[in-house]
Amino acid sequence: MRFSTRIFLGSFLPFAALLVAVFWAINVAAIETVRDGLRVEVRENQDAFARLEARSQDRERRILQGVAQNPTLKAGLELLAHENRHPEEARNTVQDQLSEVADSLKFDLVLVSSLNGNPLAGVLRQSRGFAPIDLSRIRTPQRGLFLEGSQVYEISSVPIFEGSEEVATLSVGEPFDIKRFGIPAVLLHEGVAMLSHATGVPLPQIGSALRACPFNAECQVTIQNRLFLSVPLGTASAGDGYEVRSLQNVDAASGRLQAVLKRIFLFAGLIALAAALSISIVASSSIARPLAKMASKLQKSSLTGDLPEFDQVTSGPHEILDLARGFDQAARAVRDGRERLTRAYVEFVGSLAEALDARDSYTAGHSRRVSEYSCNIARAMGLGEEDVETIRVGALLHDIGKIGISDLVLQKPGRLTPEENQVIQQHPTIGRRILENVHGFERYLPIIELHHENWDGTGYPHGLRGEATPLHARIVKVADAYDAMTSDRPYRRGMSHEAATAILRKVSGSETDSSVVEAFVQSSGRREEEAAPAESALTRLALAVQADGEVRERVEP
Amino acid sequence: MLFRAVAASLTGFVLLQASDIRGSIVIKRKLTRYNVTVSAGLYQRGTAVPLGGDPERDPISFERSRVAVYIEGPGGQTSDPGGPVVATMEQKDRRFVPDLVVIPVGSTVSFPNLDPIFHNIFSLSASKSFDLGNYPMGETRHVTFTRPGVVALNCHLHPNMAASIVVTPNRWATRSGSDGSFVISGVPAGTYSIVAWHRVAGTFRQRVEVSEGNDASVTFVIPYKGPTAAGEIQAHR
Repeated sequence: MRFSTRIFLGSFLPFAALLVAVFWAINVAAIETVRDGLRVEVRENQDAFARLEARSQDRERRILQGVAQNPTLKAGLELLAHENRHPEEARNTVQDQLSEVADSLKFDLVLVSSLNGNPLAGVLRQSRGFAPIDLSRIRTPQRGLFLEGSQVYEISSVPIFEGSEEVATLSVGEPFDIKRFGIPAVLLHEGVAMLSHATGVPLPQIGSALRACPFNAECQVTIQNRLFLSVPLGTASAGDGYEVRSLQNVDAASGRLQAVLKRIFLFAGLIALAAALSISIVASSSIARPLAKMASKLQKSSLTGDLPEFDQVTSGPHEILDLARGFDQAARAVRDGRERLTRAYVEFVGSLAEALDARDSYTAGHSRRVSEYSCNIARAMGLGEEDVETIRVGALLHDIGKIGISDLVLQKPGRLTPEENQVIQQHPTIGRRILENVHGFERYLPIIELHHENWDGTGYPHGLRGEATPLHARIVKVADAYDAMTSDRPYRRGMSHEAATAILRKVSGSETDSSVVEAFVQSSGRREEEAAPAESALTRLALAVQADGEVRERVEP
Repeated sequence: MLFRAVAASLTGFVLLQASDIRGSIVIKRKLTRYNVTVSAGLYQRGTAVPLGGDPERDPISFERSRVAVYIEGPGGQTSDPGGPVVATMEQKDRRFVPDLVVIPVGSTVSFPNLDPIFHNIFSLSASKSFDLGNYPMGETRHVTFTRPGVVALNCHLHPNMAASIVVTPNRWATRSGSDGSFVISGVPAGTYSIVAWHRVAGTFRQRVEVSEGNDASVTFVIPYKGPTAAGEIQAHR
């Protein structure tokens, strides 16, 4: 897992959990508040409604009492009571009177009943006019609700007096209007929902949901996954198995609030996400970027074999800086150790070359001189310091392969047989083999292996032609040839500088590279004064290696 | 004048010298505020009935046609009371049909009940007060009016039912037509009070002189006095 991911999860997840918890708590509190508000509203509504209803019932009662004292109605009742010959027409007469009362006072049901509650006559509004009520099967209450057919009527009654004697009861009814409560309400009759003003909810579902509610108590029910609050509405009509309840959709009431809360939550969530993201990016980049830089450098070093330094890591937490510093120190220690090792090896090999030179008094100092001449040529050709240093060390070691050649052949005075020549010609290859496994000596190998190749391809060991032989090796070849010609040998004296130069000029283009020879001729004028410091070969080697390290440090940024 | 008086005394009630009274009732405004109860069958109350197509409901014509005109006078009452008649006032669809009857004194009115419900006709008027009691469909009861005057009728069972019977002192009486015109024919020459009676507007009197061979002309302008309760009471007297 990336560091930034870890920080993101570590900062965002707790944040998100906290937000969700807060939102949940707020949501619950909001819904509860809305519910309480609804309850209060329903109660207040109901109080106001009850007062209004009481007033209107009072007024209605007064009007009804006036109607009940209607003398024609009394005359009709008198007729109904005493007419024996034509009872049907007498009842018709009273029913007609009741129709008139219903028509003029806009009631849907008017009925007179005797004192013991037996209905005497009644009419009911139909689609066309009024129809008599079948008295044999009904029993109307004095007050409250009355179910006729599928219609629920709300009944009120007043007594009819004859003198001061109550003789009958006049009852009037109008359809029970569930909407008049002003809030969504439902009428229940013995647990069955009869009427409802709550939109979009089927009556049977309301009935079955409200069956669990205790009578005359507040309750909450869930219908079609929606939460409803139901408060009993006290009305004069309720009773006798009837109950009127409010049925208000809490979800709908709190829906807007919930939507607002959801928006706020989403907004806060997005901000939190963004904050967590930026925190994690900043925090991780302050740590991960220096680390990544170090890691990439280390990866590169695994390819080059060089240990990097982190001096340029200056920003970042203290821990990272400490890590970089510690790593730098370790790398420096490792590099120092490696350099010491290399230097020791170079010194060892150098002393080996010196020992080789010393095997034969005539070749003593040969490697050192070739090294000097080669450096001069290289400088004269305008090569860089690094090349000069490579040439210096390479020239010192160029004949190292002669270790593997028998002294008999090597020190043989006089001409060599072709077989002996063949043995001698193996020394560049042997030299390469000796040093090719030494780490850091790779760049000297071409000089050691190819310093006997000729320009025209007649040299050994590979017979390379022209520039196929590297310039370093071509330079060393010229220097080697010059030193060989100017050195004393058991069988001859060394040539003069001019003679040797002349020969070099003569073979330039065939054996040697003419441009190298030209450079040598130019530089040889300055040879005497440059060769003056009598330093030991070992000292030079050590210096060379040290310089090599410095150069490399400078090159590598 | 003398000749006429002599002739009259000679000829007795042979109306050789009789003339017509022609007149018109001028009513410019609706007088009656009535609650339009359209005839509806039993139990059909509360049904919407379209109104306005009935020509009788032209309010001014309706008012004009509801005026009773008769003459009073020294000659009229004694010389020719006119023959008593038998008139009918039905009870149908909770209404009296017709609701205005003009009869000479001594006439009889029959009241058949055509409704399937009981009616109970009564009158409390000074000239004739009676109560026919409850009676059902198919039954008819009769009343003879022996004194002139206006008789207001009601039903004990149906407060909306009302009718008037104008009992005139003689046979010279009529109802105006819907255009307001009326003719009382065969009036002997003489000076009379001519009376126009409207249920709401009340009683209006004019003097009229009837001469032989010349038709007298009378115009009643019946003003609107407002549908006050006082007006109603006055009209009933």
